[in-house]
Amino acid sequence: MNEPVSGCDIRGEPQKEWVAEEFSSLYNEHSRAIYYLTLRYLGDPQKAEDATHDVFLKAFRKLDQFRGEASFRTWLYRIAINHCQNLNNAWQERHIYSGVDDSVWENAAAKTDSPLRVLETKELGQRIQKALDGLPEEYRLLLLLVADAELSYEEVAELVGQSADAVRGKLHRARKTFAALFEKNG
Amino acid sequence: MKNHNKLSHQQKEQEELAAQQSQIPSGKEFSSPEELLRFDAAQTSVPPSIAERLQNSSATVPPPSSPPWWKRMFGG
Repeated sequence: MNEPVSGCDIRGEPQKEWVAEEFSSLYNEHSRAIYYLTLRYLGDPQKAEDATHDVFLKAFRKLDQFRGEASFRTWLYRIAINHCQNLNNAWQERHIYSGVDDSVWENAAAKTDSPLRVLETKELGQRIQKALDGLPEEYRLLLLLVADAELSYEEVAELVGQSADAVRGKLHRARKTFAALFEKNG
Repeated sequence: MKNHNKLSHQQKEQEELAAQQSQIPSGKEFSSPEELLRFDAAQTSVPPSIAERLQNSSATVPPPSSPPWWKRMFGG
């Protein structure tokens, strides 16, 4: 007779406590990355808190659909991106979005790759958020994903549904625009 | 309860890390926006209320029925 898999009952079904324990390990490992993405992508701590909860709950419900072809973090990011985009789309349907100030684009084109200087770290989060809020959603997402050192360009490209070369090109423009907005808000 | 302790431990570690990093002297330079965002992410603590809510929410959800990846990851 076959031995049951560790954490499964005699029918091979996972035991609830065991699944919950493994899931809490996964939460501990990835919650900061997911919370940070939702926080800076949505720009609202309360929305980010709700979104992070919803993303992990969706992941818990769909654990059996995770096939292990991508990393668990990539899989979570996919759920988080879809969730945030749905929230943003719903919001934009109710509001008129003015977009980025044209002067920022003009300045961005002339920007060099000089370092970003921070004199006061106290208000840094707000300054970063303002700069991210001024970016087109596509650029904001790219920067946030590339900032996660655990993701390769290929994984980022897959998450945003583009080629790695397209990601590199857009990332270049995203960096310049972010730098211009960051300096402007300094 | 055991899971709750684990989550609390993780939150404590994150808060300690954030406290250490908030003491970094001002006048810092970042070579790229990604580096700046990494620094910002390391300073950001996950609100403990998310873990508490998640624990309550997941308690009412049945565990996944067919988990082939569990077997691969944890020795099936």
